[in-house]
Amino acid sequence: MTTTSNDVKRTALYDEHVRLGARMIPFGGFEMPVQYTSILREHDAVRHRAGLFDLSHMGQFILQGENVGAWADKLTVNNVATIKPLQARYNIFTNAEGGAHDDVIFYRLEGRWLLVVNASNAPKMWEHINAHLGDSGVKLTNLHGSNALIALQGPKSLEMLAPHTDVDIASLKYYFCAEGSVYGKHAVIARTGYTGEDGFELFVDGTDAAEIWSKLLADNRAAGLEPVGLGARDVLRLEAGMPLYGHEMTETITPIQAGMNWAVKLTKPEFLGKRALQAQSEGDTFARIAGIVMAGRTPARAGYKVFLGDREVGEVRSGSTAPSLQNQNVATVLVEKEAATPGTLLAVEIRGTRHDATVVSLPFYKRSS
Amino acid sequence: MAQPQDLLYSKEHEWVKLNGDVATVGITDYAQNSLGDIVYVELPRVGATIAQFGNVGVVESVKAVSDLFTPIGGEVTEINGGLENDPALVNREPYAGGWLFKVKLSDTAQRNNLLAPADYEKEIAE
Repeated sequence: MTTTSNDVKRTALYDEHVRLGARMIPFGGFEMPVQYTSILREHDAVRHRAGLFDLSHMGQFILQGENVGAWADKLTVNNVATIKPLQARYNIFTNAEGGAHDDVIFYRLEGRWLLVVNASNAPKMWEHINAHLGDSGVKLTNLHGSNALIALQGPKSLEMLAPHTDVDIASLKYYFCAEGSVYGKHAVIARTGYTGEDGFELFVDGTDAAEIWSKLLADNRAAGLEPVGLGARDVLRLEAGMPLYGHEMTETITPIQAGMNWAVKLTKPEFLGKRALQAQSEGDTFARIAGIVMAGRTPARAGYKVFLGDREVGEVRSGSTAPSLQNQNVATVLVEKEAATPGTLLAVEIRGTRHDATVVSLPFYKRSS
Repeated sequence: MAQPQDLLYSKEHEWVKLNGDVATVGITDYAQNSLGDIVYVELPRVGATIAQFGNVGVVESVKAVSDLFTPIGGEVTEINGGLENDPALVNREPYAGGWLFKVKLSDTAQRNNLLAPADYEKEIAE
């Protein structure tokens, strides 16, 4: 990766994006493609064929040492020590108040752990981890800048990748990973992703990224593979009910409020923020994230006020048109408990007018297979 | 791209087609391309009096809300009803089926505040 004069970084795939005609925007400290052709077209490719994403802006850290599992268990809500070699697990680093410091994925490789953090949180997470290393014996290395991350997502991703890797990816289970090669280049291949579809994430050296990216595209264009930007990625993850840091989870919106209770192991003896999360969970009066579907054609956007009757009960955290739901407008809202039950009729204030919306269960979209 | 030569333009990327004292208004190809997939257009009401360069509605793309300004003032006489069910018409045919609304001009001298095609082309080339 390189740094331009105004301190916005470029990933190893920057030249590929420009060549493909992408519209580039600053995101998480990087110049990233927001779209190549159209958000709706790229969304359609991922839902029905496959899409190729550059996620090299995400932070990648390597953790090494015998105590990584036990050490990480004290800083995060999910179980880390029980992760098997070549298994991946979603997790959340919390602060002392139980707020989300970042949501991450741990990949346990042979002899080391790979930790993927949000791009905008990478500097914060680097400091947080370093501040908590203590005498754990855990060694931390930053790959942010040398490693690239390419995601291939969609129902055809298995058949598109299989001919070009020596890993038996058909046998790779969801949230497991393997080390091998793609087009002859070393790669960690994980069956993970953030779109609601089947797919793979390829951790490769930055110097190999452009070759792998361009060959995957060239070999699979005819089968419908398209490069996909951040715009479609956000719509895909919203439809799939996946929280985005800064929207559904923040330093003040806890994993319990975000509905990620399944990842919060209150049975663990201790972890940073546990007491606060336990109290919140037992109190059960907290504002929480819910999904809504708008009745009309006006999209709800982040920051709009939400009403139950005449009472303001919260605000929109993410909102978009959902192509997978016949272009209905969907949104996540952070609302008081009594406003979060599926079936509840709410109203969203948009430019001074209140528009009807109904609370629905998340996710909005679930793949059929 | 070359702009249609029979239209006038605003710096806010709207176009105006004058026919006597009635103007048809839309957004330019450059504007629709910058916005991306348009999913909703909020237009002024028929009968409303709008002022040149005033904020008269919004254009929403999948991920963003943009204010809609009118390049010309007067009384709104018609809105494009086709956009209610198919707002993507603005993407597909910005200068034809994707027009937005019509205005009966309050003052035909307002045209002097608009850009000729060549000047608009310079504007978007910068």
